[in-house]
Amino acid sequence: MLRDAALVCGKDLRIELRSKIGLNQVAPFAATVLLLFGLALGPNRQALQPAAAALFWIAVLLSVVLAVQRSFAVESADSARDGLRLSGLDPAGIFLGKGAAIVAQLLALEALLTVGVALLFGAQLSGGLVLLGTCVTASIGLAAVGVVYGVLSSGARVKETLLPLLLLPVAAPVLLGATKAWDEALAGTPGQAGVWLSLLAVFAVAYVAVGSVAFGPLLEGA
Amino acid sequence: MRGDRAVRALGVAALAGMIATVWLGLFVTPNAVGYADGTVRLLYIHPPLAWVMFIAYGMATLSSLLYLWPRTRHARFDRLAGASAEVGVVFTGLTLVSGSIWGRTTWGVYWAWDPLLTTTALLFVLYLGYLAMRNVPGDPDTVARRSAIAGLVAFLDVPIVFFAVSWWSLHQGPTIDLATRHSYVHGSMAWTLLLGFVSFTLTYVWLMVHRYRLAALRARESDEGLESALADRWAEALQ
Amino acid sequence: MSGYIEVGYVIVLGSLATYATSLVGRERAARRRLPSTPADGDAAAAVRPDAAPSAGELP
Repeated sequence: MLRDAALVCGKDLRIELRSKIGLNQVAPFAATVLLLFGLALGPNRQALQPAAAALFWIAVLLSVVLAVQRSFAVESADSARDGLRLSGLDPAGIFLGKGAAIVAQLLALEALLTVGVALLFGAQLSGGLVLLGTCVTASIGLAAVGVVYGVLSSGARVKETLLPLLLLPVAAPVLLGATKAWDEALAGTPGQAGVWLSLLAVFAVAYVAVGSVAFGPLLEGA
Repeated sequence: MRGDRAVRALGVAALAGMIATVWLGLFVTPNAVGYADGTVRLLYIHPPLAWVMFIAYGMATLSSLLYLWPRTRHARFDRLAGASAEVGVVFTGLTLVSGSIWGRTTWGVYWAWDPLLTTTALLFVLYLGYLAMRNVPGDPDTVARRSAIAGLVAFLDVPIVFFAVSWWSLHQGPTIDLATRHSYVHGSMAWTLLLGFVSFTLTYVWLMVHRYRLAALRARESDEGLESALADRWAEALQ
Repeated sequence: MSGYIEVGYVIVLGSLATYATSLVGRERAARRRLPSTPADGDAAAAVRPDAAPSAGELP
């Protein structure tokens, strides 16, 4: 299973590196979101700085939708999905592989956005370990639900509008936990972030588990 | 049809219960001390609405599980899940409305981000998404299986959302704290509250029966539509 | 203040009543669209048992 995962992950990342969609479209999209927030709430930093964590994670959440759509768009080209099904790869492995590829992209994006919020909103970066830990656990959770709902909506003709509607409400606890954890870290009290990090960890574990099991049957039906 | 008389009786009972609850709730029971003027009357409809919401989603999840379990796989469970989710969404919307009015009369604002209402709002959009997904056209078995899994995935989120939102609002804000209200609920109020719960539950069951029937009829319709189309093709081929 | 309560009751009960009526209406329309006694073949009969469950059938 892990070998299959590595295979799929490698494939997805290679496609990404070659097409550079993440670089050319998703990252600028996220940056645009930050700018728009700045336009809407600024120019006075008073509204922006306390909201930095929240705006950061909303931008991440919106970008996850794009990343997931992209992840499954590559499969629908040239009936690649049938190829995936018939390849004999362990479905749980496919799930983990796709998820891991999305996590990698998310982490890169989050690094970029961190610079963005520090620059644009004046966020004082402190509590780096908590910031990083949050990014990792949140990204894993988001990628997991993303892949599940991605395969679920991939067969549908209305998938562009269906995926956000399905994904965002389920991801609400991640938004909540990640924002609060970052708030604590940015405010200089990283110790208080414990409860939020555990929430994120529970979410990640739960949805990685569910996704591994559910991906197979969902792929059959897609 | 045999069941019709039972369902009609159910409907009558539900309607009678609702009317009685409204009459008692609005006109007969007294204003309670400690509540803003008249607010206690919402007690007879808001908690029952929330209660039905939980039953409805629980039922949908249970049905989804039964559908996925190989031994009990049957289209009826998929239809039950869909019916229950739809009725659940209706009741969730109404829970939000009644909760919002409660907030308006108690705290002066229509929305105060308290944990219970916020969780309910998230459940509302969560299951709206579920219903949207059910409506996506496709092979019925595929849709059913997809919906069942989606239902379970959504339901998994419910406790996570609840805890997250509770921690989130620990430091601030008012809560519709029903626990402390117990001391004020006695006499005719307690009976009306009980009647409220019973009536709303009966209404839920009645709505469920009809929504389920509608789903079954539609399924039959599409099956027979398919058959008549096949029959037409046969006729053409044989000419 | 108590005006809000009455409005609340009206909205809640009105919505439930509207939903109930629309449900029954749609059910009747669906029933009317189907042939009342499917005289043709096993296929239709096989579909039948599922179609109109009695209240007792529900858990």
